[in-house]
Amino acid sequence: MGKLIYTIIKASEEPRQLTRVLSGMHGISNAEFLEVSCEGITAVVCDIQKTGMVAGHASAMDYAGVIEKLSKDFTLLPVRFGSIMETDDDIRKMLSGNHLEIKKNLLKVEGKVEFGLKVFCDTEKLKSARNIEPGMKTKSATEAGALHNNSVYLDYVNKKLTEYRLEESVLSYVNSVIEEITDCFAGFEASGKFNKMVSPANIIDALFLIKKEMTAELISVVQDLQTRYSDLNFILTGPWPPYNFVDITIS
Amino acid sequence: MNENVIDRSRDITILEVLDRVLNKGVILTGDIVISVADIDLIYLGVKLMLSSVETMEKLKSGMH
Repeated sequence: MGKLIYTIIKASEEPRQLTRVLSGMHGISNAEFLEVSCEGITAVVCDIQKTGMVAGHASAMDYAGVIEKLSKDFTLLPVRFGSIMETDDDIRKMLSGNHLEIKKNLLKVEGKVEFGLKVFCDTEKLKSARNIEPGMKTKSATEAGALHNNSVYLDYVNKKLTEYRLEESVLSYVNSVIEEITDCFAGFEASGKFNKMVSPANIIDALFLIKKEMTAELISVVQDLQTRYSDLNFILTGPWPPYNFVDITIS
Repeated sequence: MNENVIDRSRDITILEVLDRVLNKGVILTGDIVISVADIDLIYLGVKLMLSSVETMEKLKSGMH
């Protein structure tokens, strides 16, 4: 028997409301929820038989569903799926020992939601639109080729230089789109994280933490961006609990 | 919006959920025992139980 930890909640907000909400919900394997509290923070857990721990996608989705439901009413920190501790006392010690860091993170995400913004494009089409001719010779490559009197060498260097220029050109375009997105979100007081060139098609993978009440405006801004960049495909996901803006590792 | 786009969006959302729930949030590090028929068989990091492709790639590269 162990305790599967779903989330850590700022319990001082509405302790009775939390009990009421949890009484109408069930966890993985239909387990009932329990609250383990310490110094104004509460871990939402359920008993779990280690042998009964189903490590499947369905369980992970159920787990995410519980966190999402609770996030609508409470300020919370999602805990990564599969986090198990032996006893309530162990959990209390964990909450107490990391009290300051947990409170700091709760304060950071209070009243906020996370959104993901993925930007896709046809990079081959984009590269041809950037108008860089393949095989464009450079002085240094030509000189090196002449020196070695080797056309294979020259072709190879030119090919690599062209590829490099194309990558640079695409990256510069991606940076300009990120700048535009950042400008558009300037009024949101958003925390943002950008990953570039996640895959050849997924040129931007961004995450934002914004105030809940700014959701409608954010959607409208993304719609405007989509209209402006018709060659790109913007996919907005959310609102999510603040998974990507929690920064605690507990050993 | 055609059906392909809708399906693609749904797939992306499922991947986004799994990526978050498996890799993000408060991280409690530790090991667990997987038991089968009451016999403790495997002792491994919780990370390895169920993992996204991204995490597996990271773990794999860390092994080299």
